[in-house]
Amino acid sequence: MRVPAAWLLGLLVAAGCGRSDAVIVGSKNFTESVILGELVAQQLERYGIPVVRKLNLGGTLVCHRAIVAGQLDVYVEYTGTAYAAILELPPERDAARVRQAVDSIYRARWDLIWTEPLGFENTFAILIRRKDAERLGIRTISDAVRYAPSWRPVFGYEFMERADGYRGLVETYGLKFARAPSTMDLGLTYRALAEGIADIISGNSTDGQIEALNLFALEDDRNYFPPYEAAPVIRAAVLERYPAAREALRQLGGKLDEATMRRLNYQVDVARRTVPEVVREFLDQLPR
Amino acid sequence: MKEAVIEFKDACYGIDGREILGPVSLEVNRGETLVLLGKSGSGKTTALRLINGLLLPTAGEVAVEGVSTKQWDLVRLRRSIGYMIQEIGLFPHMSVGRNVGLVPRLEGWPKPRVRERVRELLELVGLPPGEFEDRMPAELSGGQRQRVGVARALAADPPILLCDEPFGALDPLTRSELQQEFKSLSRRLGKTVVFVTHDVKEAVFLASRIALLDAGRLHFLGTVDEFLASGDSRVAALRDLA
Amino acid sequence: MSFFEYLARNQGEVAARTLEHLWLVFASLSLAIAIGIPLGIVLTRKPAMRGPVLGFANVVQTIPSLALFGFLIPLPFIGGIGARTAIVALVLYGLLPIIRNTYTGISSVDASIREAAKGMGMTDAQLLFMVELRLAAPVILAGIRIAAVLAVGIATIAAAIGGGGLGEFIFRGVAMVNHAVILAGAVPAALLALLADGGLHLLERSLDWRR
Repeated sequence: MRVPAAWLLGLLVAAGCGRSDAVIVGSKNFTESVILGELVAQQLERYGIPVVRKLNLGGTLVCHRAIVAGQLDVYVEYTGTAYAAILELPPERDAARVRQAVDSIYRARWDLIWTEPLGFENTFAILIRRKDAERLGIRTISDAVRYAPSWRPVFGYEFMERADGYRGLVETYGLKFARAPSTMDLGLTYRALAEGIADIISGNSTDGQIEALNLFALEDDRNYFPPYEAAPVIRAAVLERYPAAREALRQLGGKLDEATMRRLNYQVDVARRTVPEVVREFLDQLPR
Repeated sequence: MKEAVIEFKDACYGIDGREILGPVSLEVNRGETLVLLGKSGSGKTTALRLINGLLLPTAGEVAVEGVSTKQWDLVRLRRSIGYMIQEIGLFPHMSVGRNVGLVPRLEGWPKPRVRERVRELLELVGLPPGEFEDRMPAELSGGQRQRVGVARALAADPPILLCDEPFGALDPLTRSELQQEFKSLSRRLGKTVVFVTHDVKEAVFLASRIALLDAGRLHFLGTVDEFLASGDSRVAALRDLA
Repeated sequence: MSFFEYLARNQGEVAARTLEHLWLVFASLSLAIAIGIPLGIVLTRKPAMRGPVLGFANVVQTIPSLALFGFLIPLPFIGGIGARTAIVALVLYGLLPIIRNTYTGISSVDASIREAAKGMGMTDAQLLFMVELRLAAPVILAGIRIAAVLAVGIATIAAAIGGGGLGEFIFRGVAMVNHAVILAGAVPAALLALLADGGLHLLERSLDWRR
């Protein structure tokens, strides 16, 4: 008899996919993305839409492949990341044009819809220790150029590889460092900077660690970094199946400014509160 | 002329306050074969291990060549005593030749002399060196392994041999064959032998004298004739079993 | 660009990263052996230390590598960023199988063999080197083989702390959303793991005294 095997298989499928009609919400594997995934999930639930969470997946690559393959229904992506890293288009400074481009290409190529931007931009932030910034009296990346030759730079892989990352930065500002940058995991670069093993790193502008570790984000005074607006990407088929989802996501549009996002990140990363709790609190205080 | 090579002087051994042996007093004379006879748990193996210092007496003393085992450099003491236990005591990762030549090698004999000695000993225990020298213990029969054990114990020509039921695991035919060869060999070479067994027949066959141990105590010590004639009830009971 | 094209165009760097990777594995494995085997031997002599030492090695195994790097960054001498820190982490991961197998290998040597060795007048050192270690060699080597394969795999994470190696391609490929680049790191790493496993397996069999 094959019944037990079939039953087991059914169980596995159920465990793997959850309810077949539920919307599968994903996120990348860093705090902000997980918070945004949870935000989308809770918002959909508030509109009575069944949801399965697949948060904390790999990076951009994993989420993108999953949603294109239909194994994910929605996740929050950054327009600039989609533009530069996924579509591999040349750098573009205008936020509106970036958003327009990714929206039309995503729709045409994969039947994916970008809904309203959440309201904040997460861009690369060039970080140094706050006490160095104060001691040297510097505020912008241009101010830092004369001190950079004695600094040890440490950058994440994404920053080193992207067209809108390291290479363009040193060219735009004429930066020179004490040695070639070490490349390592983004999360560890914060630690290395705080511990005095690195002197300059690139982080995310909304990261809670900036405050927690007493770091200072140098102003991008030449507007080198393109704006990265965060917005949910959802499969068109899901919007057809759940028309309410359209409204649910529209309601989130423009509700999260940069300060709010940094505060939410801080709540999770530094104050050690749980993501669902922080998100629930945030949604509760939104006007309905 | 009797000369005591090994002396037990009120020797006791216990662990965690539990007496396993003693007090026992006896002497082993040069050239004789003393059999320690007893059931399992009688303390006979413990007594044997007190001689080569694998155990040290917790009270009293055991002296070898007039020196207490507590004073002996134990490595030196053990190299002057041949030691045979049941077949498994052969090193499974060494060939027959290397097993036999081990103590001479430890003693730093030059290589050609070790090799010569190994061949001589294999010859002596009835294993043609050409055929057996390079075999591994796993390739031998039980009887052959025990012969290697005898050869290994004799390798550095020690004046004393300690044997702990060396023939216990063999079939009866092989056992009696080996007993005979062992007896003539040890007499011929003039070794002082202490032999542990629970087999009365083996004891009677091999011994010059028999020491009967029971529950850690020495109950009888005498020649084979005295053993056979003894009126002691324990001795008689054992004798009847044989 | 396909994997093979990428490989062909970047032969030089793939070779250099492979060498870096080998160095990470070789250095960390050597240290893990130099520390793990003596520790394993000590455990057979001092039973009281068994719990704490094996417990520590066990716990280390369960720490995610990024977290371990995080702990190591602020430490003087062994910490910081770069290959040295990665090697320290790799040594810590490699210790458990080596210590455990050394301990198990030696303690499973038959008691009567140990007794015979002592009875024949072997010193403690002779007993250890001529008998116990020799008989335990296949088991110890199996532990080293596990540690080696583990090290080849975990060494890809060295790139997370600026330690170089084939992980560079993997991290870079993930950042660039580019399969070909990921494979340029993953395929050579997998081949190295197979080579290490096969090579050490042969050595293990040649040292096996059972046959």
